[in-house]
This record gives sequence, C-alpha cells and structure tokens, in this order.
Amino acid sequence: MTKIELVLTNAAGLHARPAAQFVQKASSYASKVTLLAGTKTADAKSILAIMGLGLGQGTKIELTADGPDETACLAGLQALVESNFGEG
Amino acid sequence: MEQVLQGTGVVTGIGIATVKIVSTDLTGDLKKYGAGTAAEEAGKFADALQAAGAELVQLKEAALASGQQNQADIMDAHYAMINDPGLAANIQAKIEQGAAAPQAALAAAEEYAALFDSMEDAYMRERAADVRDIGGRLARLLVGSGQVEYGPEPVVLCAREIEPSLAASMPEDKVQGIILGLGSTTSHTVIIAKARSIPAVTGLGDAINHIAAGTTVIVDGYNGHVILDPTAEHLSDYRKKLEAEAVRKQQDSQMAALPAMTKNGKRVQLAANVGSPADMEAARKQGAEGVGLFRSEFLFLGREVPPNEEEQFAAYKAVAEQCEKQLCVVRTMDIGGDKPLRYLNISKEENPFLGWRAIRISLDRPELFMTQLKAILRAGAFGNVAIMLPMIISAAEIAAAKQAVEQAKAELIKEGKAFDAAMPVGIMIETPAAAVTARELAGVCDFFSIGTNDLVQYTLAVDRGNPAVSPLYSHFHPAVLRLIDGVVKAGHEQGIWVGMCGEMAGDPLAVPLLTAMGFDELSMSAPAIPRVKEVIRRFDDEQMEQVLKKALTLKDPGAIRGLMTEFVGQ
Repeated sequence: MTKIELVLTNAAGLHARPAAQFVQKASSYASKVTLLAGTKTADAKSILAIMGLGLGQGTKIELTADGPDETACLAGLQALVESNFGEG
Repeated sequence: MEQVLQGTGVVTGIGIATVKIVSTDLTGDLKKYGAGTAAEEAGKFADALQAAGAELVQLKEAALASGQQNQADIMDAHYAMINDPGLAANIQAKIEQGAAAPQAALAAAEEYAALFDSMEDAYMRERAADVRDIGGRLARLLVGSGQVEYGPEPVVLCAREIEPSLAASMPEDKVQGIILGLGSTTSHTVIIAKARSIPAVTGLGDAINHIAAGTTVIVDGYNGHVILDPTAEHLSDYRKKLEAEAVRKQQDSQMAALPAMTKNGKRVQLAANVGSPADMEAARKQGAEGVGLFRSEFLFLGREVPPNEEEQFAAYKAVAEQCEKQLCVVRTMDIGGDKPLRYLNISKEENPFLGWRAIRISLDRPELFMTQLKAILRAGAFGNVAIMLPMIISAAEIAAAKQAVEQAKAELIKEGKAFDAAMPVGIMIETPAAAVTARELAGVCDFFSIGTNDLVQYTLAVDRGNPAVSPLYSHFHPAVLRLIDGVVKAGHEQGIWVGMCGEMAGDPLAVPLLTAMGFDELSMSAPAIPRVKEVIRRFDDEQMEQVLKKALTLKDPGAIRGLMTEFVGQ
C-alpha cells in the first residue's frame, strides 16, 4: 500500500471534466485507489463518488493505492493533478 | 377545428405534414415492460450499459467533429458516469432485491441526483441533471423505446424535447419540421435542425402534450406559429409560401456560385459571421468568401475555466482550413459584464456596455490574451488568418495589443511551434471615438471592420433592447452614415482595406449605400448573403453613387430608409 498527498491547484477543482479525467486515469490501473479529503473518502474510480465530495480549488487530498501497480498508479495521478488537468 | 399555438421560431422556413409524437416520457413503456428473473434483468442491464457507452462515444465524436469541445467534455463525463462502479453496484443490488432493471437504473440515478441537489455549489447542483440523464438513457435502452420509425410519409416531429442522438438520425427528406415544448435556441436538436434547414418552433410549453399523432400541422419557423388542423384557406396559403420558398432556395443556390459584382464589374467580398466551426457548412452553402468575423467569445461562454491554447487552436484551425485560401478574421474575446464569466471575476457593473469588456479585459489579463493570441497565430499556419481587436478607442490600445502579439510570437518561436509571422492585425470600428479618429488608427493597423451594432448604439445613445427607446435605433441615422463614410475614406487614404461585420452589412436596403462608399468587404450571417449579392449585381456604380449622394443630404433616418426601400424595392 502506498500513499501520497496532493493539492488541487487547477481552477475548477474536481468538477465534471477534471473528475472524468481523474477517474479515467485511476481506472487504467489494477490497484484499488482511495481518495481522502478531510474526513471523507471516495473510491477514486467512481466519478459520482468523487464529484459527490465537491472538491474545489485548493483542496488537500490524500491518495492511497493498493495493488500490483500502486506506485505507477499514484505517479500517474500525481502527474495529472500537477498538470492542472491541462487547463490553459 | 383549427388551433394556432404560439412558440418561438428558431429555424426559419415552412413545414407542412402530419404530427409524429416522439415520446421522451417512459411511463407507458415502463408499465408495459415485462421483467424477467433477477439474472435476466442483470444481463439486460449489462447490455444496456454497453449500448449507452457506445451512444456516448458516438455523441462525443460528433461533438468533436463539429468543434464543440464543451459538449464533448460533457459526453466524456457522462461516459465516466455510465462506467461508475458505484452506480453499477447500486443498480445490481436493486435488481437482486427484485427490481426490474429500468426501475433500478432510474432509482439509483435519482439517489445520486438527490445528493447533488443538496450541494451548496450551484455548478454541482446542476450536475444532478447529468445523473438523471444517465438514468434516463439506461432506462430508455432497457425498455427499448425512443427510436423513431419513419414511414413513407413526411412528418413533423413533436416532443417536449428531442435527444441529440435522435435528432442526429433524422432523415432530412422525411422530417418537414420540429415542434418542441421546451424553449431553447441553443440545444443540440436546434443546432442540427438549423444545419439541415428543418423549420423548428420551440417553447410551446404544456400545449405540446395535447397534440394528437396524425394531426395535420403547419410549422411557421418565421413567426413561431404552429397551426393544427388548418383551414383549407390557411393550408393553401402556406402551400403557396412553401412553393415560393422552394423557388427562392433554388435561386439562392444558383446565386451562391456567382460573384458579388456590380454591373460595372466592381467586386465586394461577401464573407460570413460565424461562432464556431459548425457554422461553416451553412457559410459554404451560401457562397461565403471567407469569414469576416469569427466570434471567438463563444469558446469562452458556459464553462468553468477558459479554453486552453490547444482547444482554441483546434477551433481556429478548423475554421481557417474550411476558408481555404480566403481570409478568416478572428476577433479576440468580446465579453463584458453582460455575459459574466466566473473565471473572469467581473464584478457587477452599472453599465456593462460602458464597462470592463473586450480588449480592456484582454489587456488587463495578459495570461488570457497571450493564450488566445498564440492559438490564433498558430492557426495562421493552416490558412489565411487575421487578428481583429474589439472595442478599440485609441492608438495606444492597438500598440499595447501589437506588443502582446510580438510577445506571443517570441514564445511560439521558443516553443518551436509553427505560426504565421506576418499575420495582419486589424481593429473593429465600433466606438464613435474610433470612427472619429479613424485616420490616425488606420496608420497603425492593417484593416478596419465596422461593427454597426455597437457603433449605432454608442453613437445614438440608444439601447435597442429597451422597448421605450428602440424605435430610435437605426443604422440609417445621418450621424451613423456620415461616420461610416468617413471611416471608409480614412482607411483607403492610408491604404488599408475596410469591411463591415455588423447587422447593417446584411441589410439589402443598406447595401447600395455601402457599395457606393467603397467597402471592400461585407460580413454577415450566412443566410443573408444571397439576397445581398443579388442587390449588388442588380445596379451599376453610377446608380449607387447617386443614391448615396441623395441619402447623405437627407436629415431623417425614416426618410433615408424610405429612399432605399424605393431604390431597392421590397
């Protein structure tokens, strides 16, 4: 099991489009991924659960991955978040 | 007995046929649905998930192909929702507890929607509609409804709303018109109807529920009338109109191939005003010679973050390529407090039209401006593109904008991206300040395009959206005509071309005056092009110069309009 902490710096936070990208990325790995924000957790492969958290800009999140490709999975998600989801 | 309903005409034209009801209400189908065992229902649900995913991929591709990145993003989000493991598990659980698959899908989606409904953020609350849409899509696929079967007879489609996937599959030869209960001029169904010239009336409200299938109906997309069971007299009137329309369409399409040229051979370039790459098909059909105004602000509206460089580049490139060798003028973002965008942080203004808007925002927000300029410059590598600056009032603004253009070029060189290093930079003349100082401004830019909608409003101090003063609004006011005439002269003296991209450019009554003033280019909404071209071809230069001279001596907008009505003939 591996963990990282990230801050959502893109303007929209995890709204529909970035959330869709995030979930797509998470789903491309075999590992189980969980997102923790404050006290609430969500399955990182569930867009409805992620959007249900209503995470805006500046939110701190913790990602936990558990599985055969957990390191690659977290690196991939980190890169996506840090690229601000390609927002211009 | 004849009944007339009043809606909003959103696609002009006349359609006469019998009503075909397109049901979006699943209640009846749900009642008829024969549920199987839990295992059978689970199997059907799995199939519906597959089919829904395939539909969404198709819709996304259609949106991308027409340059609608926003819509494509929404379809992407819907696709992720359809594949949501939580939603699927919820539906599965309901099926195991004995629910029929369609009800299970609707109920599960409703649970998530209720969660979004309760959120504080308005944007997130709106997402409830997305989840319900997903539930509805699954249920529709499960009960097998929603596909329209077309017989040999032509029909008018009647529904509260029509899903884009259904609209996309409408056969043009069968569908004579569309009438909708909901009111929107920008829905996908309306956009598709427009592209195919299918007359459409929206906003009929609940009246739509009382229309019986098979009723004879006339759809009048010009005035928004929907006539059910028309009298013999109305029917024959409208049949005549329909025939006249067919004749005019025929003439228009012949006109499209002819050049816009006076009897003496003087050419005026007739270009199209467009808002997205999707408008290019209509422009081509009407024989537009390039794009005189690409309203880039449409890319910025209705979203949470500004479009990035790649997204803008894709849209500009798509239009530039479709212009082939012709000019494609991209106007930089023209937005202000009347269309507030969250990411621009425009505070509420007393007078948005005299406030922080257009070039003023661009110069104050260099990161936004730089992204847009880079995207436009890059599109120049794929066509004949020009940059146009809106709302200019001084040479200093042009200098600042040009400096930004140079900086954008330097960045593109550093990034190793291809662009047009010699791209012309022109300005909109839409403030009295710019019109009066046109001579100075012409010395520091490459072209003028007169935006009459704002120029008339600012010159006459009339808000034409205000019914108390709107009768005072006229582009035939002598002050406006003299300003415009002066701008053309000033531009030509400095050796730059002068165009017009406001509504006046598409007014057949104004066209002889504009041609005589010496406009090099007129840009208008595509459907106006054939009529304007016909007027230009009808007269010689002498005739048009005479009428201009006479018009400039008249003191009253009404008298000038009267003169032109007589000259052009209505």
